[in-house]
Amino acid sequence: MNSMRRVVVTGIGIVSPLGIGARTHWENLIGGKVAVRRIAAFDPGGFPSQIAGEVPAFKITDFVPKSYRKATKVMARDIELAVVAADDAFKDANIQSRAYTDKPSIPAGRFGCNIGAGLISAELNELTAAMHVAREGNKLDLKKWGQDGMGQLTPLWLLKYLPNMLACHVTIVHELKGPSNTITCADASSHLAIGEAFRTIQRGKADLAICGGAESKVNPMGLMRQCLVKRVNTESNESPERAVRPFDSGAAGTCIGEGGGLLILEEYESAKNRGAKIYAELVGFGASQDTHNITDPSPTGHSYGSAIRKAMTEAKVSPAGVGCLVPHGLGIASHDRAEIAGLRLALGDALEKVPLAPIKAQIGNLAAGCGVDAATAVLSLHSGAIPPAVNSNKSSSIERLNMQPTARETKFDVAITSVYSLGGQNAALVFRRV
Amino acid sequence: MDRVVITGLGWVTPMGHSIDAVWKRLLNGESGIARTTLFDASQFPTTFSAEIKSDYRLEDFCPDLSKHQGVGRNTRFALGACAQAWKGAGLDAAKLDLDRVGIYLGSGEGSLDFDAYSGAALASWAEGATSMDSVKWAQVAAEFMNPTRELEQEPNMPLSHLALLTGARGPALNCLTACAASTQAIGEATEILRRGDADVMIGGGAHSMIHPFGVTGFNRLTALSTLNEDPVRASRPFDAQRGGFVLGEGAGMVILETLEHAQQRGANILSEVVGYGSTADAYRITDQDPQGMGAIVAMQEALKDANLGAADIHYINAHGTGTRENDGNETVAIKAVFGDRAKQVPISSIKSMMGHLIAAAGAVELITCVLAIRDNMLPPTTNLDHPDPECDLDYVPNKARSARVDAAMSNSFGFGGQNDTIIVKRFAR
Repeated sequence: MNSMRRVVVTGIGIVSPLGIGARTHWENLIGGKVAVRRIAAFDPGGFPSQIAGEVPAFKITDFVPKSYRKATKVMARDIELAVVAADDAFKDANIQSRAYTDKPSIPAGRFGCNIGAGLISAELNELTAAMHVAREGNKLDLKKWGQDGMGQLTPLWLLKYLPNMLACHVTIVHELKGPSNTITCADASSHLAIGEAFRTIQRGKADLAICGGAESKVNPMGLMRQCLVKRVNTESNESPERAVRPFDSGAAGTCIGEGGGLLILEEYESAKNRGAKIYAELVGFGASQDTHNITDPSPTGHSYGSAIRKAMTEAKVSPAGVGCLVPHGLGIASHDRAEIAGLRLALGDALEKVPLAPIKAQIGNLAAGCGVDAATAVLSLHSGAIPPAVNSNKSSSIERLNMQPTARETKFDVAITSVYSLGGQNAALVFRRV
Repeated sequence: MDRVVITGLGWVTPMGHSIDAVWKRLLNGESGIARTTLFDASQFPTTFSAEIKSDYRLEDFCPDLSKHQGVGRNTRFALGACAQAWKGAGLDAAKLDLDRVGIYLGSGEGSLDFDAYSGAALASWAEGATSMDSVKWAQVAAEFMNPTRELEQEPNMPLSHLALLTGARGPALNCLTACAASTQAIGEATEILRRGDADVMIGGGAHSMIHPFGVTGFNRLTALSTLNEDPVRASRPFDAQRGGFVLGEGAGMVILETLEHAQQRGANILSEVVGYGSTADAYRITDQDPQGMGAIVAMQEALKDANLGAADIHYINAHGTGTRENDGNETVAIKAVFGDRAKQVPISSIKSMMGHLIAAAGAVELITCVLAIRDNMLPPTTNLDHPDPECDLDYVPNKARSARVDAAMSNSFGFGGQNDTIIVKRFAR
């Protein structure tokens, strides 16, 4: 058993509403910039919530080798975000993968991949244009659809929307042939994917892995589904920069977003041997499940707290030693209260002292793209700065929490990031300075 | 490292929904494939599928459905399969540390709410339009769409419902690696038990893609058989006249436990999970690597993990989809791994009888391996009438066979190049 194998972070790739590239994201985050705005991708006028964290424009062909440009035609937005984040991560880690050279510096079979994904929405314009051919009034006539309608769709149509295609494109572009997985647990996907990739390296099945997740809900179906389950803020369409207010007494719902956050994890000796820049060591991972109901986290915080506690126990970290915690912090009042209960169970009285960085106020909820939150925790530890809590002015009356409206510079040794999903999956990761 | 055993089995399949009844039908070479009834597929290129039949009643397995109102088709299958496995394993929530009971599924997304979806889209698409009127769409969609039915399309919903059913609060994950998903889920669940992060794991998967856009997607890829005149003969793995797979639906669940936990509670041990291998082709999103390298390494990794040689494997449950590409490549890969032994080891594909359950396929196929070991019986590959020179191994054609099976291998390969192999073995102290 290779339980002694240590795992470190040697590359970070981020595509977020605050920018393309980990550096841009980080600088804007620390600067307190808010990227939640009125939706530009489509006219959101008919929706109760009309705001989102949208990724700035990019051209996907700029992020793949020339020979792969044709394949970008079958990439849903979610896949593009993963591919762009992967390019950023590989370049940051200074790894010469197949994307950049004919002589890759890392054996393909020892490189794993685990990219969390969401429920990818089919592009409505493309599908409806095809359906229009087979319409009978406002209904789709399935006989006509079978005869003439479906033929309007490109033969590879289905492949744009399979969640495992994020990982598949990334493994093909960079030629990664080790264990590959796709976790689909909504907002918890990225953290679970990173945790699972960590285990894969620990047990010796791979020496490196690219892991995290990507998703875009910035499309009509993605937004509608969040409106239907009443998780999004519908009161702040005129003041989007103030809309998401994690742990604030004025919390009135979260907002949708899009992005991708990927880490390159590497076995410690392998990283040292190639002289890699080491951001942090991944020292703890915990996962658990709520059994309260489908849509709401348990108000006791039992399982959320137990995921964080498991990760801290594995990391041998005491609550007082935690220098920064990037929570899920959705800005939904009842959810925030449940999250605080869980944090209280994990951290005890130290909860009031641990600096919290609820970054969704600035970027929205990236769902399966919450790998951005995990990557932010690593950057925070590495650069010795705690991101601001820009909209958490009036702290909730239940607890006094350690949040500041502006970034804080402080050197510390341990960062935690934790999430929970609609559906009750919980995950936490603990990073330590090497 | 803890040993991991299987103590409970459950499935909901196109051929029935009890372990022994379906097993008997598989050994008889029967079929669960027929004309599609879930929607009007009469003018689709493929008009048949392997549906769960209308005699499946979730209430028969889960009398209390209060926490599961409005669940989608895949969740309905997952709950029934899980209840069977849980009961079969003799588990009692009151006697378990539920923080150490986890779930790892490879479930697919839920079926689209087709009428609401197509209705809202068409109502907001004017004659001659080139794009959706999103303002109008938002108003119509909000009226047409049901929050629960939309939520039930999230791929983590079967997982979340199984947690409510069983009370499991341990590690909980869903992976969706296309047709390899539930094999991967059971493999990863095994790893969670091996490293001591749980005592019990529910592993498996559920999926239904038998809906208009699911069939559309596979028909456009020309992946489905179009033998509309004879559905029962349509799924023909390894046959020279194979022409694509047959879409099925369903769920398979197993209860996995550390050996120590199973023994302490005096559980009936059905099999031991001894090996798991997982790789990526990194070849193309549309095709498998024709050299079969990803599949070869997955099988080799599983053998190494199990500490077994090729000669120790007595049965291979093939991915065997009945597509021209898969069956040829899988044969190439098996030959590369098994060498001289390739022609001696019996291989079969139950997809010939129950179709391809996509994300759930691996779980029902692993259950088949456990039953093959239990009864020393091999299910056949039906419709294997015309030998293909490219597929020249022993596929147990058309008739079940009695044979000593102490260890069996189950292969699953997914679109995009995901390869997963699990090996189960007769349990011996």
